[in-house]
Amino acid sequence: MLVYLGRRLNLLVITLFILCAGSFALAFLFPGDPLTNLSGLANPDEQLRQQLMHKYALDQGFFASLWQYFQLIFAGDWGISMRSGSSVFEEVTRTLPASIELSVYAMVLSLFIGLPLGIFSGLSHRKALDRGILSFSLIGYSVPVFWLALLMILVFALKLGVLPMSDRVSLLYDVPLNTGFVLLDILQSDMEHREAALQNAFAHLILPTLSLTVFTCSLIVRLTRRSVINVMDSDYIKAAYAKGMSRSEVVWQHGLKNALIPIMPQLVMQFTLLMTNAMIVEVIFSWPGIGEWMIQAIYQRDFPSIRGGMLAVSVVVVSFTISMDVLLKLLYPLSKRQLHAQV
Amino acid sequence: MPLLDIKNLTLEIDTSFGWVKALDKVNLSVDTKEVRALVGESGSGKSLIVKSIIGALPERWKVTADRMNWKGKDLLSMSDNQRRAITRSEMSVVFQNPLSALDPSATLEEQIAETIPDNLLDKGWFWQRRAQRHSIAVAQLHKVGIRDHELCLKSYPHQLPEDVCQKFTIAMALASNPRLLIADNPTMGMEITTKIQILRLLSKLNKTRELSILFVSHDLLAISAMADSMTVLYCGQSVESGKMTQIRKRPLHPYTKALLDSAPSFRRDLPPKAALHCLEGTIPTLQHLPIGCRLGPRCPRAQKECVKMPDVRRIHDHHYACHFPLHRDKA
Repeated sequence: MLVYLGRRLNLLVITLFILCAGSFALAFLFPGDPLTNLSGLANPDEQLRQQLMHKYALDQGFFASLWQYFQLIFAGDWGISMRSGSSVFEEVTRTLPASIELSVYAMVLSLFIGLPLGIFSGLSHRKALDRGILSFSLIGYSVPVFWLALLMILVFALKLGVLPMSDRVSLLYDVPLNTGFVLLDILQSDMEHREAALQNAFAHLILPTLSLTVFTCSLIVRLTRRSVINVMDSDYIKAAYAKGMSRSEVVWQHGLKNALIPIMPQLVMQFTLLMTNAMIVEVIFSWPGIGEWMIQAIYQRDFPSIRGGMLAVSVVVVSFTISMDVLLKLLYPLSKRQLHAQV
Repeated sequence: MPLLDIKNLTLEIDTSFGWVKALDKVNLSVDTKEVRALVGESGSGKSLIVKSIIGALPERWKVTADRMNWKGKDLLSMSDNQRRAITRSEMSVVFQNPLSALDPSATLEEQIAETIPDNLLDKGWFWQRRAQRHSIAVAQLHKVGIRDHELCLKSYPHQLPEDVCQKFTIAMALASNPRLLIADNPTMGMEITTKIQILRLLSKLNKTRELSILFVSHDLLAISAMADSMTVLYCGQSVESGKMTQIRKRPLHPYTKALLDSAPSFRRDLPPKAALHCLEGTIPTLQHLPIGCRLGPRCPRAQKECVKMPDVRRIHDHHYACHFPLHRDKA
């Protein structure tokens, strides 16, 4: 187990290291002055230029400047956004929680819907229920997320007018920024009309969460269904029936455990896909998350922000992946032989 | 009355080239206190017979039989619950491949505990039952020759060598104290000393506990040591069945003769360095099943009539299905 943990930590550290180096390289690959791309200060005069050269150690060779860059990244100095003039790090910490919040809700919702549906579908293989669930999941799997989001806005926000179509919470409520998760912030704050604000925030969450859930949920349904079918066809399930156990006993004691353990990592990995989709959905719903923020940065050629945003998102994805890997290992120590990481 | 009586069992399976009769009118019966051997090459459908007896086939496959009786009650017309009650208390199965027949995510203790029915436990409080199950499990493991029972019970299937798992599945099958043990190749892959130990255990149980055994194997030596009677299977058809001694002395079906001849230890008259006898060709695949008697293309005695399925004929309790059985020559 220690060897395993060591290996995964090693993987995490090295991957983060490479990500940092990659983001450093971006400063040179983007058009324009690397110094401007790193610091976010456009057209520095000679004195400032010297100062920045010294700060980023660009005059001391490649490795020294890379090392300096790491230290700055860890110190939270990610440069200044060219658009707003505020620190990139602060903007990332403001927008990233909004994205994570959206993705987490969508993930939880799709797990709660997808897993039972997949299990039911797998258990009634080749029956009407299975076919029905499978065809719905196929539709959900094929519909493009952005199109679905637009449709939802059209139906629920414009035609029916029951749900709001943009932002996290109505402008009427002044939610103090604390954790960055809007529901938590509202719960922690001592503002007036807290319940109303909470309801309003919920209403704002529904459409983006749903449009994300449809895709992930159908993916989970398909994964679970396939795994359940495979396991229920296996010899030890037949052996369990031959022992004289009833169907529900077999399913609960032998079926589900064996069906769900191998797909756990795959289920968890859907979260990263979800994050990517969340970025698109954010733009459509004007959700103030990192996706929307980065797309704005790309439009305005705000290179320090693009660099910082990419670094932040990839760090979140990598650390999430590896920590879930370790967590699953702790929960199910069965796959002992899997010492090396798998893609 | 036979314990298990199967007549004209036909199993149709759907493959990519249509429905195929994997089992064609198989007859099989196991009497009380009898050790019945079921012999056939790999791919002759032995395991399919086992699976259709316990009802572990996919639901879309069609199983039909004129008769499939367990102590006079028809198994096929029973509800799932009734059938399960029988497999729970009276029938046990040892599957062919122990590693795939054991749940990979449960310890062996959990798995053997499930097979011990409540009526084997004496009346205790529910918290005492765990300990009782444990002691029964340990006793069973000792019987099949697993000495390190604590390690075995604590392990997951992949942590143990295959022959230990094999012995464990036998112990698990015997734990419910069944009337009939269906052993699908139970000694596969064991070294010879353990094999003898297991065979001895089975014949002892057969004598002391009146356990009937359906012994599915292609190990003719083990079979001749154990079995009272034998059913020979070729490509999903039962070709001959009868008392072990009779069949060995005088096989009537050409396939049985070829099978017995292929085992050198059955041929005392075999001179040193003589070529071993075997039938030409291989067992046909499911796509290319011959019509009529499926041995036809390989049979040394085949004639035009063999494209029709021969009826089962009998001499006393020796049944065979052949148009041109071997005794005709001698007559």
